[in-house]
Amino acid sequence: MRNKNIILLTALLKSSSLWNISKYSKDKKKRRRVIAGIIGFVFLFLMMLAYCLLACLGFDALGIIDTVPVTCALLISTIAFFFTLFKTNGYLFHFKEYDMLMALPLRSKDVAGCKFLYMYIKSLPWYAGISLSMMMGYGIFAHPHIAVYPVWIILSLFVPIIPMLFASFLGFLIAKISSGFRKKNIIQIVLSFAVVMFSFSLRYIVEALIRSDRVADLAAKASDVSETIGTYYLPAGLFANAILSLNSQALFAVFSGILLIGLTLFLFEAVFALVGRFYRQINSALSSHEKRKNFQMRVHKRGVLNTIAFKEFRRMTGSTTYFVNVALGEIMAAIAGVAVLMLGFDRVVSIVTQGAPIPTGILNPAIPLILYFLIGMMTSTAVSPSLEGKNYWIMQSLPLTKKTLYRGKILFQMYLSVPFMIFGILCFGLFAHVALLDMLLYLAQGVALCAFSATWGCVCGVKYMRLDWENEIEVIKQGTAVPLYLLPNMFVTMGMVALVVWLGTRMNTRLITLALIAVVGALAMLSYRKVMRYASL
Amino acid sequence: MAENVVLDIQGYSKNYGGDNKAADNVCLTVEAGDIYGFIGHNGAGKSTTIRAVVGVLDFTEGEIHINGHSVKEDPIACKRETAYIPDNPDLYENLTGIQYLNFIADIFEIDTEKRKALIQKYSDMFEITSDLGDLISSYSHGMKQKVAIISALIHEPKLMVMDEPFVGLDPKASFTLKQIMHEMCEQGAAVFFSTHVLDVAEKLCNKVAIIKQGKIIVKGTMEELTHGQSLEEVFLEVEDEK
Repeated sequence: MRNKNIILLTALLKSSSLWNISKYSKDKKKRRRVIAGIIGFVFLFLMMLAYCLLACLGFDALGIIDTVPVTCALLISTIAFFFTLFKTNGYLFHFKEYDMLMALPLRSKDVAGCKFLYMYIKSLPWYAGISLSMMMGYGIFAHPHIAVYPVWIILSLFVPIIPMLFASFLGFLIAKISSGFRKKNIIQIVLSFAVVMFSFSLRYIVEALIRSDRVADLAAKASDVSETIGTYYLPAGLFANAILSLNSQALFAVFSGILLIGLTLFLFEAVFALVGRFYRQINSALSSHEKRKNFQMRVHKRGVLNTIAFKEFRRMTGSTTYFVNVALGEIMAAIAGVAVLMLGFDRVVSIVTQGAPIPTGILNPAIPLILYFLIGMMTSTAVSPSLEGKNYWIMQSLPLTKKTLYRGKILFQMYLSVPFMIFGILCFGLFAHVALLDMLLYLAQGVALCAFSATWGCVCGVKYMRLDWENEIEVIKQGTAVPLYLLPNMFVTMGMVALVVWLGTRMNTRLITLALIAVVGALAMLSYRKVMRYASL
Repeated sequence: MAENVVLDIQGYSKNYGGDNKAADNVCLTVEAGDIYGFIGHNGAGKSTTIRAVVGVLDFTEGEIHINGHSVKEDPIACKRETAYIPDNPDLYENLTGIQYLNFIADIFEIDTEKRKALIQKYSDMFEITSDLGDLISSYSHGMKQKVAIISALIHEPKLMVMDEPFVGLDPKASFTLKQIMHEMCEQGAAVFFSTHVLDVAEKLCNKVAIIKQGKIIVKGTMEELTHGQSLEEVFLEVEDEK
């Protein structure tokens, strides 16, 4: 008889495997979607491979090729941490098939452990992609000992586990704390945001620590960088030690490798022993809702579009995963605005750019785009059509056209993003001493950008609408519509910020802003018309 | 505890944090051979009790024993002897029916010959054999319910716990399920299920408990409760009284 954990893990993997779906599904559309998904995945994988190889080329050119192992470990760890942090709620806790699994003769610890391993295996191709391409780059440029390759491959399988465990443990703490409150969802959302914000700010904390260690000259002290990072984040240090010492101090390398594996296994056992103890209690609390039984009849009348927008609002606030992923940019924009109010525009720019010599006023024409980089990072319209899921019948059975439904979704996204955009522009603009006319133009550009984000997101969301999901994370984090919206939008915005700043030094900035308003407005209109065309199909 | 007691609930209470208890000092005993109906309004506390019995819902007050094993102290031993069919079974949609049944059989460590025979027997009875190779996502609600029932039967449980088992089943499947419930009880197992369909409960159950606002207000054998009245009349009477 096979081990029950392996049986459960196999079933979990099979239940979401594209191969299983394409093999047994008779639905041609579904099979086509699976093939499109695989092609998209391969494309992204190749992009990542090229990026990693180019990074190694850059490290070699700078003469710091020996920092590649520690960089690789850090990169994998960061991605693993954030991937897991966003997924814990929904994968580890409060998942759909909880009742079915927990009624089986399986220990809570094993169910939680298998769910974690399932998350790990599903993300492993990404970690392996980074690891193998950086190993290739390191191999090409550093010409290491042949034994480095198997050691690298084996150890890199363990590198993502510790950050994943750490993220899971944070998710566990969030779930444990919020399960004790009546308004569990709100507490969960607030705590999740706090953890995400703290994690983002860790970059600055770590950089400050490294700087205080006076490791400024990277090229001259590459090994010091590895050592310093290893001191603050032990698993990355152990990985780097195992790779870099293999040639000169084989025993130390083996010791580092064994220590990394041992530490990983110990932490896995420790985390899941603790999680298992409270697993049923947390899930029971998260899945139960107390009835207040004090309702007094009150009704509100809204217009159809506002009703749909309100439905979208309740859908978003009802799910921690959805809220944290979709509203993260808006919250970050609000925090940036408050930071500018407290510290001033120049000081915030100086912190973000780590004291780069940026002339005053040069960034002003890019203010709406900088805020759009945060607010436009994600849009609810890219996921909300799919999130209708099995409840789509409700919308379908109502006397509503698809056009009205999509308009309602776009309206909600505008309600969500525009106030934050306006707040951010006002804070940034006032403290950057922007003239009134420029401020008005920036506000118009900000609204146009929000409209583009909502409508282009809706194009992606409707085009790649998928209703047959098991867990909403499949739509929010893994749906085809999300990278299609997110990646080009992010890179184009970054490029546009640079372009606008550069053009601003050569021509009238008001003309640039006016041109951008026209272009973005036209793009928003085109996207809107595309959505309406999809709706009439 | 008597030897033939399969399910024993004593003083079980569940509070979700406010003043209202979802289950309040629930006590009942299900013996081998019983088909025990659990009746109450929506939100009366049926599912809260059922989920605690099958070890899904955490609870602090009271004791629940299955075949002498405590649900709190030894949940795995309890689950080995129990089968649970929720009101809306969430199965793995991207597994085929047979893959799902094999998964459950693997967890319960059922040998190949026995599982094959039992899957064949029950899938034939529910007329779903030819569909077992398809993905569960392509099944109707009733077909999913049938797969959930088969998965509950293939490890020959001592206690079958069901939450509204007849919802979504076609008349023939409902009849088959009732037949299976009788068969199980003849072989010394017990069935504990919640239902709103009082006619079904009256014809099928030998014992009934009525729950209202988390409290058991009436329980006993069908004869003790009805005294020549219909179960529906008794239910409406006690609901109004207490």
